[in-house]
Amino acid sequence: MAGTEHAEVEETLKRIEVHKGVIGTIVVNAEGIPIRTTLDFSTAVQYAGLLRTLTIMARSTVRDIDPQNDLTCLRIRSKKHEILVAPENDFLLIVIQNPCE
Amino acid sequence: MGNDKYVVRPMQTFSGAPKNKQIQTDNIGVVEEGTTATIWDIFDSFCVQNETPESEKADYLETTVNTSKGQEKIGEKSSSSSTTVSTGCTISSMSEMEMSGNSLNVESDSQLIMSSESFQHSLLVMERSIVANTFQPKLAAYRQLPIPEDPDSTVKPGIKVQSEEGEESSLSPTLERLWAFTCELSRGRNITSMAWNKENLDLLAVGYGDWDSRTEKPSLICCWSLKNPMWPERVFYCQSCVTSLDFSSNNPNQLGVGMYDGTVAIYNVQSRNNVTCIANSRECSNKHLHPVWQVNWTKKETTLSGMDRGEALVAVAADGRITKWLFSGNSLDCIDLMKLKKSQHFKKNTVETDVIISPMTPGLCVDFHPTDSSIYLTGTCEGLIQKCSIFNSQNFLDTYKKHFCPVNHVEWSPFSSDVFLSCSSDWTIQLWKQDLFTPVLSVTSSQRAVLAVRWSPNSSTVFAAINGRQVEIWDLTLSIRHPTIVHHAAAGVRLTSLLFVKGNDCVLVGDSEGQVTVYQLKNLSVGEGKQVDRLNDIIHSAVSW
Repeated sequence: MAGTEHAEVEETLKRIEVHKGVIGTIVVNAEGIPIRTTLDFSTAVQYAGLLRTLTIMARSTVRDIDPQNDLTCLRIRSKKHEILVAPENDFLLIVIQNPCE
Repeated sequence: MGNDKYVVRPMQTFSGAPKNKQIQTDNIGVVEEGTTATIWDIFDSFCVQNETPESEKADYLETTVNTSKGQEKIGEKSSSSSTTVSTGCTISSMSEMEMSGNSLNVESDSQLIMSSESFQHSLLVMERSIVANTFQPKLAAYRQLPIPEDPDSTVKPGIKVQSEEGEESSLSPTLERLWAFTCELSRGRNITSMAWNKENLDLLAVGYGDWDSRTEKPSLICCWSLKNPMWPERVFYCQSCVTSLDFSSNNPNQLGVGMYDGTVAIYNVQSRNNVTCIANSRECSNKHLHPVWQVNWTKKETTLSGMDRGEALVAVAADGRITKWLFSGNSLDCIDLMKLKKSQHFKKNTVETDVIISPMTPGLCVDFHPTDSSIYLTGTCEGLIQKCSIFNSQNFLDTYKKHFCPVNHVEWSPFSSDVFLSCSSDWTIQLWKQDLFTPVLSVTSSQRAVLAVRWSPNSSTVFAAINGRQVEIWDLTLSIRHPTIVHHAAAGVRLTSLLFVKGNDCVLVGDSEGQVTVYQLKNLSVGEGKQVDRLNDIIHSAVSW
């Protein structure tokens, strides 16, 4: 059972990584270290560090307004591409996509 | 003063020699801590504090101990948050230090993270967001939202001029392709049936199967969601080729499936992990041994006390029986609603020439009346359409005779409860009124068997037909001789299945390559007046010729 779930997770992650327009994916653990990434490691570490701070800030903002609320997704649209962050307590899932290709 | 008892007596004590002794201590580190008492921080600590007194006795001393503990915890928490907030620049340096030493930790971490449920959920949401980014203009067109231009798009302005020129010529009704539901699992498989979910109108079940191929590919049912047109939400494998699907309205997670070997099954599409096929007709002694051509969920008749109406699954099969399946406990059991006997007319012709084992004719399609669910129509292989009632399993109520080839599909009009459409392999589509025994209108446009015909749920005079090589959209207010829109399939691809979308002008076409293409009907004029009246007007004008 756990084996099939793991396989499904792997498959979904692979589908995201090869999706059209996706430049890179990073999975960051609780200490801020990228554990799985398709970019080179130094870029991944940079993204992980910067986005971790930003996510904490964003979560603090959301919860300041209403402490029973919580952050579910953070999307930053820039000129060149879009960064999507799925924040959780023990990990961070970051995807960088260029949607208009 | 002059008392003899007082004596003055000096004393001297030795004073020890002073000695210097030196000691050394560890450096007493001094750390400055700052914290911001954010609202959520106070709330969290308050919640944690509330939990602990519930498990302990509410003693005054203990509460004071609690508050001091709580304060320590607050101190800890705020210190942890402040270190992460104020020392953000050191995190990357910390991580570099840690990464060199803790490679083992990372491995176990990654295993833990990857198998956690929240990771799976995040992946699901992330995949849908990415796919929605790519498909956003198409999905917006589907939902009939205006599509704003992307200010950062890198498309050159030269292309814009061409599209403006193209717009002027495309004011005639046409089908515009939006996207196609397809993935590697489904590529190359023939689509046999499609059904929308009754509760969640964005969920589509598609059955793939090929009953005359020699390959041993198992048949497939995929549940697609509009949120992800690139990968199905659920995939089920079936032993036998799937021929028909229908979702239940009472229990929207139950999907009724009819198969080529005569099995009728009910699948539960809700959970990913649990057993999905919740009932199967293999053990039933009365099951069909011939292909089931259509399944339909229908409400059971109300009991005398008007209790809630359950639902039953009705199946029509090639052995000429129409059966009602009741799902009780874990098993399916069936009763016969009707046996489709061969009509007297044909019997005379065939009694000398053919060796007929069974005196029954295969039924191909069934449709229940939209308001009175005790009446249903069924189309047979002989070309007859029988109107039957579930209370009478011996005789038909009425017979409509016009087709001379198998009737592939019958459907009541969703707007007018007297009108129904039928299509057949004799190249024609007939429009009938319930009490007239000759068709009101007969349309034919190409010399190929019409595989399916469907009413549009949005406009009472529009229907679509599919015949292998093309999709035709007919609008009876514009023309009763020619289809309004004709769309040809790509070379080598056979179109096999058709479904309308309720609420917007889109139609789904399934083909033999495993693709479900979504088309939008453009420039189809909407008439004024009530839907029912428009259809009745057309019928009156046709009948009065």
